Amino acid sequence: MANQQTLLSPAELAYLHSSLSLSPPIRPDGRTAKQFRPLTAETGILPGTNGSARVCLADGTEAIVGVKAEIEKTVDPLGGEHYQEYVKSASGAGGGDAEEDKRGARGEWLEMTVEIPGLRDDDAGTVFLAELLREALLADGEFAKKLWINRRFHWRLYLDIILISPPLSYPLPLLSLTTHLALLSTRLPRLKSEGDEDPMFDDDWEASPFLYPRQGAAAGSRPPITLLVVAVGDSILFDPSKEELAVADSALAVSLCEVRTQKGDESMEVDSGRELRLVSMRTVDPPSRLTPPGVPSTGNFAASGTFDPSSQKKQQQQQQRVEEYPQEGVWKAPLGGTRFAVLDSIIRAVLEKGGVADEVLDGLEGVDLS
Amino acid sequence: MPLDTSTYSLALLRIDGRRWNDLRRLHAQIHTQDAADGSSYLEMGHTKVMCVVTGPAEPQAGQKKGTVGSAQATGQKEGASIVVNVVVAGFSSVDRKRRGRNDRRIQEMEITIQKALAANLHTHLFPHSTITVSLHVLSQDGSLLAALINATTLAVIDAGIPMTDYITACTAGSTSSYAAGDDAADPLLDLNTQEEQELPYLTVGTLGDSDKVAVLVCESRVQVSRLEGMLVVGVDGCKQVRRLLDGIVKQKGRKMIKEGAVRRSDMMAVSLDD
Repeated sequence: MANQQTLLSPAELAYLHSSLSLSPPIRPDGRTAKQFRPLTAETGILPGTNGSARVCLADGTEAIVGVKAEIEKTVDPLGGEHYQEYVKSASGAGGGDAEEDKRGARGEWLEMTVEIPGLRDDDAGTVFLAELLREALLADGEFAKKLWINRRFHWRLYLDIILISPPLSYPLPLLSLTTHLALLSTRLPRLKSEGDEDPMFDDDWEASPFLYPRQGAAAGSRPPITLLVVAVGDSILFDPSKEELAVADSALAVSLCEVRTQKGDESMEVDSGRELRLVSMRTVDPPSRLTPPGVPSTGNFAASGTFDPSSQKKQQQQQQRVEEYPQEGVWKAPLGGTRFAVLDSIIRAVLEKGGVADEVLDGLEGVDLS
Repeated sequence: MPLDTSTYSLALLRIDGRRWNDLRRLHAQIHTQDAADGSSYLEMGHTKVMCVVTGPAEPQAGQKKGTVGSAQATGQKEGASIVVNVVVAGFSSVDRKRRGRNDRRIQEMEITIQKALAANLHTHLFPHSTITVSLHVLSQDGSLLAALINATTLAVIDAGIPMTDYITACTAGSTSSYAAGDDAADPLLDLNTQEEQELPYLTVGTLGDSDKVAVLVCESRVQVSRLEGMLVVGVDGCKQVRRLLDGIVKQKGRKMIKEGAVRRSDMMAVSLDD
C-alpha cells in the first residue's frame, strides 16, 4: 500500500522535496507542518455491533470500524493442570485475587482485519496495516485484561476495519482514528454471575459498561492512536498526503496513548494537561525509494541539443558522479535508514505538550459517543 | 433458526407486524462521499449497504487480466467494462462471520449486478475504460441483493453515468413452504432474514416504471403455481421502490440547485416547488 506509485516526474519530485525541506516547509495544500487535515466523525452508527465509528477525512477518504464481541472458553496452554491449581488455591483462600488472575489474559483474544476495496485480503500491505494497529493496541498490556471475564471464560473481540473510499493516501492515520473512536464507544454486557461460574449477563443494554470507562474510579487509559509522520530533509511533517509521502526520506508510524493517572488528594488542582506515552513505533517503507532518479541537464544531450560521440565517455563519468553526489534540484531516491537525530526530533514533536497529538486527541474527545 | 409462520393465518400479520404487501422502511442518501465519482447509502429495514462508484476511468494496471474476486465484463471490447466488488463486513450479521472474497454467494451477487448494469448502462459511450462499483454491506437483515442493486442504481446516477432507466429490486416470497399444499398461501413482499430462512423467495429487479425484468434470482424451491403470484407482487414492489428512489434523486437535485452547485436552466422541466 505504501508502495503505491504516484505519477510524478523526477522534476516534480525534486520540486516538492525542496519546497518541503524549506523552513518552514511549504506544503502543496497550504497546511503547516504540524497541521492535521480536518475530519468528521460519528460513533454508534451500527446498532448491531458492540461499538462502531465512521470517520471521513477532508480529502474524502472514509472508513468504518465495527467491533463485535463473543464469549469464548479459555483454553489453558498448560493443559488444564494450571486450572486445577487455581481451583485449589481459590477454594483455600476463598476467592483469588482477580488482578492476579488477569495476568493470564492474552493478546490473541483480539482479532483485527482490514478490508480495502480492490485489494486482496491477504495482500501484504493490508496485513501489515492490521498488525501495526493491533500491535499498538496491545502494546501496553492493559487491553487484554479488559477482555478477561473469569478464569474459565473471556471475551473474544473482533475488530473489522473497512475502508469505504478508494485508498487515496496511505490510510493508516484514518484507520487508527476510526479504531480509536470505535473502541471508545464499545460496550460489553454487564456481568451478573460471580466468580468462576458460567457467565450470565444483564440483558439491559443501557446498563452495559463501556470497554474504556470515561468517568469514575475506573477511568483509566484510552485506546492508542497511530500517527503517520514523515521526514523530508530537516522538516518533520504530520499527516502527509500522497504526494508528500512520495518524496519522504523516511516515514514513521508512531503510536501513543493517553494515560490518565489518578492523583492523590494533595494535588486536587484541575487536570490541565494529559500525559502522553509512546507505545510503539514502526518504520513504513515510503514509495519514494522506488522512484527513478532525475538526470541533470549537463548530462542530458536532449536538453543541450548537441550530441558528440567522443564525449559519451565523459557523460558516463558524469552520470556516475551524479549518482554519488546529490545535486540541488535533481531528484534522487533516498537511500539508507533514518538518522537518529531525525528519529529523536520526530519523537519530540509527537510527544510535545500542546502539539499535534494533543490537538488530535482534543478533537476526538469532542466526538459525541452514543 | 426455524420460524413459526403458523400465526400468519390468524391475523394476516407478519412477524414484524407488516401486511403481506408492505415494504420495510427505505431510507437512502446520495453523494455520501466526496472522493468518489458516485456514492450512495441505502437502508432497507435493517439491511444497510454503501456503494462507491469510481469511473468511467482508465483501467488500472493488472485489472485487465482479471482481478481476483471481482466480476469482469466479458465480450465488451468497445464499451466500458464494469467491475463489481462486494465486501461483506464481518460485523454485518448477528454472529460474526468472516466471508472471504471468493465466497460463492458473494461472487454470484457480483456477477448478477454486473450483468444487470452491463445491459442497462450506456457503456458504449466510454470505450476502453472501467467503471468500478464497490459495495459494502454494513448490516444484513434479508433482501441483501435487492438492497445492493438499489444502492448501485443511486450511486451510478450520482456518478452521472447515462443509463436507460432505474434498476430497482426487491424480494417476494410465499407464506407457505414448498411441501405444504395449502392453496391459500399469500405472496409476501420484502422479506427479512427470519422469513428468508424459512420461506421460498425470489429477488426481482425491474427497469424503471415498466414491467421489464432486469434481474431475477431464485435460490429456493417454489411450486410453479405460486411463482406467478410472487413475481407480480415483486414487480409491484419494484415500482414502489422506484418511486422512493426517484423521490430521493429529485430531492438531491433540488438541494443542489438551491445550494448553487448546479445552475438553474431554462430547460428545466420540473418545478422546484413540488
